[in-house]
Amino acid sequence: MRGIDVFSRPLEYLTPLGEQVGEIIREWVEKEVIPYRRGFDEDYLEHRLIHPPFKKLLGEYGIQRILFPEDLGGWGLGHSEYLCVAAFRMFEEIARADSGMAVAFGVVFWPLVLICCEPHVNRRLCEEFAPMFMTNEPVFSCLAMTEPQGGSDIENVEVLKGSTIRTVAVRDGDEWVINGHKLWPTNTGGVADLMGVVCTTNPGSRNPEDIAIIFVPADAPGVTQGPAYEKAGMAADKNGDIWFENVRVPLWYRACGPGDDAKYYGEIVSMGNMGSIAFAVGVMLNIYEKLQEYVNRKTYRGMPLKENDAVAGVLADFATTIEAVRIIGYQCARMCDRQDLYGPRWSPEVVARARAHRYFAADRALEAIGKVMNLMECFGPDRDWDVEKHWRDIKMVQLWLGGKQLSQMEVARWFFECETL
Amino acid sequence: MNDLELFPYPKNRLQKTDLDLAASLQDLVQKEIVDKRLELKEDYQGLLRPNLDKLLVEVGLQRMFWPEDLGGEEHNGPEAAYTVAAALEQVGRADTGLAYLAAHNLALQAALAMRENLDREACARFAPLFCDGRGPMIVSFILPVFGEDEKAPAWRGKSFQVKARSASGGWVLEGKGIRPTCSGADATLFGAWCAVEGEEAPAFILVPGDAPGLSRGPEFKKTGLAASRNADLDLSGVEVPAENCLFRGDLEYRRLLSWFYLGITATTVGGLLAAYQILKEWGDNRVIKGTGNIFKENPLTGALMGEIAQDISMSRLLAYDLAGMLADPSSFGDAGSDMVYTSALMIVHQVLATAERALHRTMELMASAGYAKEWQLERYWRDLKTVQCYVGSHELAKHDFSRWFYGARTL
Ligand SMILES: Cc1cc2nc3c(=O)[nH]c(=O)nc-3n(C[C@H](O)[C@H](O)[C@H](O)COP(=O)(O)OP(=O)(O)OC[C@H]3O[C@@H](n4cnc5c(N)ncnc54)[C@H](O)[C@@H]3O)c2cc1C
Ligand SMILES: Cc1cc2nc3c(=O)[nH]c(=O)nc-3n(C[C@H](O)[C@H](O)[C@H](O)COP(=O)(O)OP(=O)(O)OC[C@H]3O[C@@H](n4cnc5c(N)ncnc54)[C@H](O)[C@@H]3O)c2cc1C
Repeated sequence: MRGIDVFSRPLEYLTPLGEQVGEIIREWVEKEVIPYRRGFDEDYLEHRLIHPPFKKLLGEYGIQRILFPEDLGGWGLGHSEYLCVAAFRMFEEIARADSGMAVAFGVVFWPLVLICCEPHVNRRLCEEFAPMFMTNEPVFSCLAMTEPQGGSDIENVEVLKGSTIRTVAVRDGDEWVINGHKLWPTNTGGVADLMGVVCTTNPGSRNPEDIAIIFVPADAPGVTQGPAYEKAGMAADKNGDIWFENVRVPLWYRACGPGDDAKYYGEIVSMGNMGSIAFAVGVMLNIYEKLQEYVNRKTYRGMPLKENDAVAGVLADFATTIEAVRIIGYQCARMCDRQDLYGPRWSPEVVARARAHRYFAADRALEAIGKVMNLMECFGPDRDWDVEKHWRDIKMVQLWLGGKQLSQMEVARWFFECETL
Repeated sequence: MNDLELFPYPKNRLQKTDLDLAASLQDLVQKEIVDKRLELKEDYQGLLRPNLDKLLVEVGLQRMFWPEDLGGEEHNGPEAAYTVAAALEQVGRADTGLAYLAAHNLALQAALAMRENLDREACARFAPLFCDGRGPMIVSFILPVFGEDEKAPAWRGKSFQVKARSASGGWVLEGKGIRPTCSGADATLFGAWCAVEGEEAPAFILVPGDAPGLSRGPEFKKTGLAASRNADLDLSGVEVPAENCLFRGDLEYRRLLSWFYLGITATTVGGLLAAYQILKEWGDNRVIKGTGNIFKENPLTGALMGEIAQDISMSRLLAYDLAGMLADPSSFGDAGSDMVYTSALMIVHQVLATAERALHRTMELMASAGYAKEWQLERYWRDLKTVQCYVGSHELAKHDFSRWFYGARTL
C-alpha cells in the first residue's frame, strides 16, 4: 500500500533540520502516541496517557527549546528563514496521530515567537524564560486572548483596536498589576507554566498602544487556572478559565512594547493559521491510511470496495483535497518564512492570506472527512477506526482564531479594501 | 407562539390525536430530558434509559400499531405516518439516540401490523412482547453491509451478515462479527435480513435478544447516539421457529425500510429543531463587533442564521412530504414500491446531508461554545453524523435513485 509520503510538498522549500525532526517525530508518534490515542477522550481531565509522550518529545528530546537563541541553550530557530516550513512538517506529523496534541505542542512556542523571532527579539525576556525550558520535564506555554464576552472581538484588532479587552494591566511603579478573566487558551486547565496574556492598559481605548501582551508565570500569586472543559474533541489540548487577581509582574515582562505588541500580534495570527492548516493535513494523512485499509479490506459487488467507480470518485476527491490543501499549507508556511519576498508576517496582507488559506483548508478538510466517514458507513463513527476522532478534533480548526466569519471579514477587508467590516 | 411552530408543516393533514401526542411529548421531553441535559449529559443509565421506558411503555409508542385485541392501540392505517413524524420529531429534539431507537421499534410495528398487510399470526406472536407493559422493546436491525469475503452471498452488492437455513420446521442462523444498526449490547429483538441457504429469496427473521447461541461483544465507543449501546454479535446455530420469518420478498423489505427512513428523517428534524433553539438563545444574547451589537443583527451571522433556519424548515417539509406519501398509498403506491422506497431513501439522505451542513454552520456561529459539551449543541452534531453513517453510503444510495429515474440495470 502506498504510504503517506505520496502527497505533494514543494520539495524546494524543505530543510534538512525540519525533515530530520519530522522523522524523529514520526517515530515518536508511532511508538508513543498512536497505540494509546483511543483512550485520550476519557483522559481529558487527567492527561495520564497524554502527559508521558509529551515529556519525551518536549523535555527529553528537547524540542521545547528550539526557538531560544543557541547561547541560551536553544536551537536558534527564532532566527531561521525555515522556521515555519519546519514547524509545518512537525505539526503534520503530530496531527497525524492527534491534532489536539499538535495544538498543545504548537502553542508551547506561540507566545515565545514574540520574544524569540527576528526582528523583535527581546533578549532580556529570552534570558529570563529560557532557563525554564532547559529541562527534561515538559514545559507548556499558553496565549490567553479569549474572554467570556468573546474571542473574535479581541482578535479583530484592525477594527476594534483592543477596545473590548477587559483584562486590565495597570502600571504600579515598576510593575504591572493584572486583573481579568480569560477562557479557552490552549494548554490551560492547569497545564501552562508560562502565559502570554493579552491585556489593555486603558479599558475601552482604541489606541493600539494600549494593547499589551504581558508574560505571566503561571505560579505568580493571584493566577488561578480552572479545570479543563469537556469538548467535542481535542482532548489532548486542555482548555479552561484563568483568573488574574492583582497579579504582579515586572514592567519589562511586556513582550514588545507600546504599539509593537498590537503590531506583532498579527504575526501570532498568521502563524496560528499556518499551523492550523498543518493540523488539517496531518489528520487527513492518517485518514488516508485508514481509508486505504478500509477500501482494500471491504468488498462490494464481489470486488474490493475501491474498485467500484462511484466509490473511487469519493477516494479521488479525498486524495485531491489532501494534495491541494497540503500545497496551500506549505505555501502559507513559506510565505511566513520569506518575509523578504512576501512582506512581514504581521502585515494585514499576510494575515489576510493566512486566514484565507486556513479557512479554505479547514472547510475542505471537514467536507472531505465527512464524506469519508459516510463511505465507511457504520465503521465511520466507530472509535476503533480512528477517523471519527479526527473528524471531531479538526472541527475546532475552523472555529478558533476568531471563528470562520471573522476570517472572512479580514480576507474581504484586505482583498476588497472594505473599511467597516 | 411555540417556537417550533415557526417552521411550517402540513398541520391540516394531521389528526387531532397526532397534534395532542406531539404537544404532550413536547412537554414531557422538555421536563424530563431537555431541562436536565446539562446535569445528566449523555448518561444512558441515568437519563436516557428511564426515558426510553417512559416513551415506549408509558406513552405507549411501542403499542401504537398492534391490534386492540392484542393489547395495542390499533393506530395502524397508513395515516399513522404522520403520527410517527410528529412523535419522533419531538423525541429527536430531546435526544437523537432515543428517537433513533424508537424509529426502529415503529418501523417493525409498521411492517407487521399495518392494517392493509396485517400478519395476524405474527402479530399474535409478537404483540405481547410490545404490549404487556413489561418494559421497552429495544429493536435493532441486521442489514447487509460491506463484507470482507468477495464470494459471500450479497444483497445489491453488500454482504448479508446472517445466513439462514431451514431445519425441522424452524430456522438455524449463523453469522460472525455482525454489526447491527443499533443497540447490539442491549437490544431485546433483532430483525435480520438473511441469506437463505440454497434459495434465491432472502428472509427477514426475528431473533429474540436472549436466543441461545446469540452472543454479544463488548459495547464499542462511537461518535454519538449514546442511547444506542452498540456491540457486534455472533450467531452460532441460533434456532428460531418458522413463524419468526416475517417475509421473504423485496416489497416487504422495502416497506420496512421506507417506514424506517421516515422515522430517521423525523428524528433528524428533531435534532435540527434542538439546534435551532440553542442557536436562537445564542443569537439573542451574544455580542460581536463591540458593545451593543447583538449577534443576530450582524449582516453576516444573521444571514447564516437565516440559512440554517431555511435548512431546518425545508427538512421539516420534506419529512412531512414523506409522511404524506406513506399515508396515501392510493395516490403514491405501496410503501415498498420502487417510487415510494426511492423517495424515502432520497429524503432521508437529503435531510441528513442538510442536517450535517446546518449543524456545521451552527457550530461555526457558536465557536468555542458550540464545541463545548456544556452548551449541548455538539452532541446533535455528533449524533446526526452517526445516524447518517448508519443509514449508509450516500454515494451508493444514488445508484438506487438512478435505477428508478434512468432505468439503470447493473448499478
Ligand atoms: C481547542 C481550543 C483551543 C483554543 N485555543 C485558544 C488559545 O490558545 N488562546 C485563546 O485565546 N483562545 C483559544 N481558544 C478560543 C478560540 O480562539 C475562540 O473560541 C475563538 O476565537 C472565537 O471566540 P468565541 O468563542 O468567544 O466566539 P465569539 O467571539 O463570540 O464569536 C462567535 C462567532 O461570531 C462570529 N463573528 C465574530 N466576529 C465576527 C465579525 N466581526 N463579523 C461576523 N461574524 C463574526 C463568528 O462566526 C464566530 O465564530 C481555543 C478554543 C478551543 C476550543
Ligand atoms: C472547447 C473545447 C475544446 C476541445 N479541444 C479538444 C482538442 O483540442 N482536442 C481533442 O481531441 N478534443 C478536444 N475537445 C473534446 C474534449 O476533450 C472531449 O469532449 C472530452 O475529452 C470528453 O470526450 P467526449 O466529449 O467524447 O465525452 P465521452 O468520452 O463520451 O465522455 C462523457 C463523460 O463520461 C464520463 N466518463 C468517461 N469515461 C469515464 C469513465 N471511465 N468512468 C466514469 N465516467 C466516465 C465523464 O464524465 C465524461 O465527461 C474539446 C472540447 C471542447 C468543448
